[in-house]
Amino acid sequence: MTGYKGFTQEWMDAWKEKIAGSKEYKEIAKDWEGSVSITVNADPSKNVPEPVYMFTDYWHGDVRDFFICDAAKAQEAKFIMTGDYARWKQVAKKELDATKALMQGKLKLRGDLTYIVRNVKTINKVIDLLTEVNTIFPDEG
Amino acid sequence: MDIHLSNNAQDVPFSFIVEELIAGNIEKSPAKYAVYKKMKGVAAIDLPDIEAAVTLIFGQGKLTIEAGIVQNPAIIINTSADLVTDLNLLNIRWGLPYYFDEAGRRVLAHIFTGRLKIKGMFLHTVLLTRLTIIMSVM
Repeated sequence: MTGYKGFTQEWMDAWKEKIAGSKEYKEIAKDWEGSVSITVNADPSKNVPEPVYMFTDYWHGDVRDFFICDAAKAQEAKFIMTGDYARWKQVAKKELDATKALMQGKLKLRGDLTYIVRNVKTINKVIDLLTEVNTIFPDEG
Repeated sequence: MDIHLSNNAQDVPFSFIVEELIAGNIEKSPAKYAVYKKMKGVAAIDLPDIEAAVTLIFGQGKLTIEAGIVQNPAIIINTSADLVTDLNLLNIRWGLPYYFDEAGRRVLAHIFTGRLKIKGMFLHTVLLTRLTIIMSVM
């Protein structure tokens, strides 16, 4: 299986492909509207020298933009999720449940929380599909 | 709307989630705000799997969120972090939580299997019903 360097454009493309190819996602996410940005805080000790900003956009079961962006673009998203590299790595490896991480303050969310909770299945599905991407993590590659 | 986090609660990230959910719900729904204004009593949510617990002290239009379980709550909801959101997904019909659809049946299944325990469920039904209404995002 092809491995993708984590938190890069090629990795995002692989993730997007997983989502776009999931019939289950299409059904679950039929009511979802809007973008989510993900900020991975820098961790030079883990080969993440700068923060990584990712912009993802979803619309009624379709996947739209999916790209590495700058801090300003990340701020434009409807929902902004932020966390340390180690936390995102745990999420991507299915070692940490994203909902629990939010409740524990390990990940931060900015945006309408009621919308997120109403659509928690969509979030969980997107993350499930992320865990299916064969990821080469910056501190492992 | 008067929602206050005690100093201790500010050290518990789950407090902010509860605050944001309740504030978001009652801001968007006049019906939920009306319910919130009537609420009086103490309820707690205990999530042992993430070692987080908060107590909600309602005073008819005022809410104080405390860290931990304090003030001998009439209602204590004990479950896990991944199941507690199922309570937020309960639909409200005719002004009451609705247990006869998929979301409702899921919550009932958690109760019957012991994954969700609600102390005071039968003694404080009014407070529990109102809490469910203002916590529901549906």
